[in-house]
Amino acid sequence: MNLNTDMTVNRITDEIWEIPMSEKPGMLVPARIYATKGILQGMDSGVFDQVTNVACLPGIRRYALCMPDGHWGYGFPIGGVAAFDVLEGVISPGGVGYDINCGMRLIRTDLTLADVQPYLEKLMTELFRKVPAGVGASGFVRLSGEEFRRVMTHGARWCVERGYGWHRDLVRMEEGGCIEGADPSIVTDHAIKRGINQLGTLGSGNHYLEVQVVSNDRIFDPVTAAALGITGHEQIVVMVHCGSRGFGHQVASDYLKIFEKAMRRYGITVKDQQLACAPFRSPEGQEYFSAMNCAANTAFANRQVITHQIREAFARVFGQSAEALGMELVYDVAHNIAKVERYAEGDLVVHRKGATRAFGPGSSELPETFRQTGQPVICGGSMETGSYLLVGTDQAVRDTFGSTMHGAGRTMSRAQAKRTVRGAELQQQMKQRGILVKAVSMSGLAEEAGLAYKDISEVVESVDRAGITKKVAELRPIGNIKG
Amino acid sequence: MSMAWSFRFLEEIALADVAFEAEGESVEEVFRGATQAILETMANPATVSGGWERAIERSDADPSVLLFDWLSEVVYWKDAAGVVFQEAPLTLTREGDIWLLRAHLIGAPVDQQTQELHADVKGVTKHLYELKQTGGRWKVRVVLDV
Repeated sequence: MNLNTDMTVNRITDEIWEIPMSEKPGMLVPARIYATKGILQGMDSGVFDQVTNVACLPGIRRYALCMPDGHWGYGFPIGGVAAFDVLEGVISPGGVGYDINCGMRLIRTDLTLADVQPYLEKLMTELFRKVPAGVGASGFVRLSGEEFRRVMTHGARWCVERGYGWHRDLVRMEEGGCIEGADPSIVTDHAIKRGINQLGTLGSGNHYLEVQVVSNDRIFDPVTAAALGITGHEQIVVMVHCGSRGFGHQVASDYLKIFEKAMRRYGITVKDQQLACAPFRSPEGQEYFSAMNCAANTAFANRQVITHQIREAFARVFGQSAEALGMELVYDVAHNIAKVERYAEGDLVVHRKGATRAFGPGSSELPETFRQTGQPVICGGSMETGSYLLVGTDQAVRDTFGSTMHGAGRTMSRAQAKRTVRGAELQQQMKQRGILVKAVSMSGLAEEAGLAYKDISEVVESVDRAGITKKVAELRPIGNIKG
Repeated sequence: MSMAWSFRFLEEIALADVAFEAEGESVEEVFRGATQAILETMANPATVSGGWERAIERSDADPSVLLFDWLSEVVYWKDAAGVVFQEAPLTLTREGDIWLLRAHLIGAPVDQQTQELHADVKGVTKHLYELKQTGGRWKVRVVLDV
């Protein structure tokens, strides 16, 4: 089998591949990659190198994992999952990423394509106006330092208290949109100044807001779909992909420096400087965990304020309240985060970097709402090809620390994508295919062309067949806002 | 006029992010090359007017650490002041064991109508980060999370 690595990669099943511990000095556990043979063969060399680097980190348990959307990141591969013992293991900002609690949110509506199509241009213009995107964009919410610290501790709850959302939204978010243990006192002024004006903004890169359609023939599990508010019949839904913005980015930067020094003190060596880490129970480890939770809560709040703006935009364009339009939250899920979760090995610090929590119906940590369905998993594809709604499984809890994929995964560099297609041309081509795109940056648009990504359907098939997530519905884009 | 520094974006590493390699005849020149690379990653400097300025002075015994901190500071001001940059003239001097950077960040508030905006850089990573001298020239490789 031709792979972009010289390492031995053994087939466990058609969707699970294992790199044994003998392949790199220092590996404490094997590495496992979830992928079809075709996806595995297309994976870049960075995946193999990085997932085996992760397998060398102190206190890692069972396997270092990479999901089928995996590709070369920094430190951890994108799509990486690793769990560390809370007593003997580490926490690593590089295993979370700069965009702490970057995540996905899906909002349903009662509208159909026929309702929206005549107003699509007006709707996208209104959404583009109400949800700032791009480099250095600031939001409409003006916060004092004290109020921003409350956002850090209360997350999406703060938004609901302030009228930016509905109380019932909270049950449809990972951790109810608010993670305990956030301590703003250990966050730097730099981080606060960098993020205080950015609540309610998308950012750029692969972040987006997308209006999508769900057709009956793309619903794979009608019972689960209905339970999640997905009814098909060309139903309109809205997807949001963004994170904690400059605040989270600065928290990550600040602690990367702190951890570099801490590693020397604790005698930890790593294969990549970006894997800088500290014992989870050390003062540095606990402070990062708390600061990371501040950023995670800010990300929940960011997506909640954006949801408020989306609801207002729809209400304005369609002349009805968001409630009358049935704009309920389907779910909000993080894909860049570290959390303490209990597994067979005991309490573990599970790092997911470009990977999504995927708890099954049997998970006691899920609210009653999802005890029949399993936790919703939202996977964003490229803006040209579509996205998926899935649900977690009890097998994921057993096999992958309750984790699965998060998106399509890139196959082409940004520079190559820009050389291959021009932003303005792509925008025109997509319009002809019925997808209206509003973008701040034309070069940024070209970088996100569908050709730069894996085939999301094959990526989804591999996790579905591996049993760690189950397909519910495919979501087809008709309008996209990019930074 | 040939410049004493240059940079090029690297395509084969960190696919979702932006990687570049800058080089120069001296440590100071490689600082200039890397600075230009990060400014251009965020926006086309030619489309950014002046008006916002910030004088920055930093020092460190390790030029590699100093460059990393400087690039991170540029990213910080992008968000903290909501600006993109036209240029960042700088000087780098050595006083004993300490390298001293004096830089002037010049830019303008983000304006989507008049500026050609590129990527919103989240952070400067340490992945593959290395400042070294080879063949008489200084080189640095940087991966930015975008």
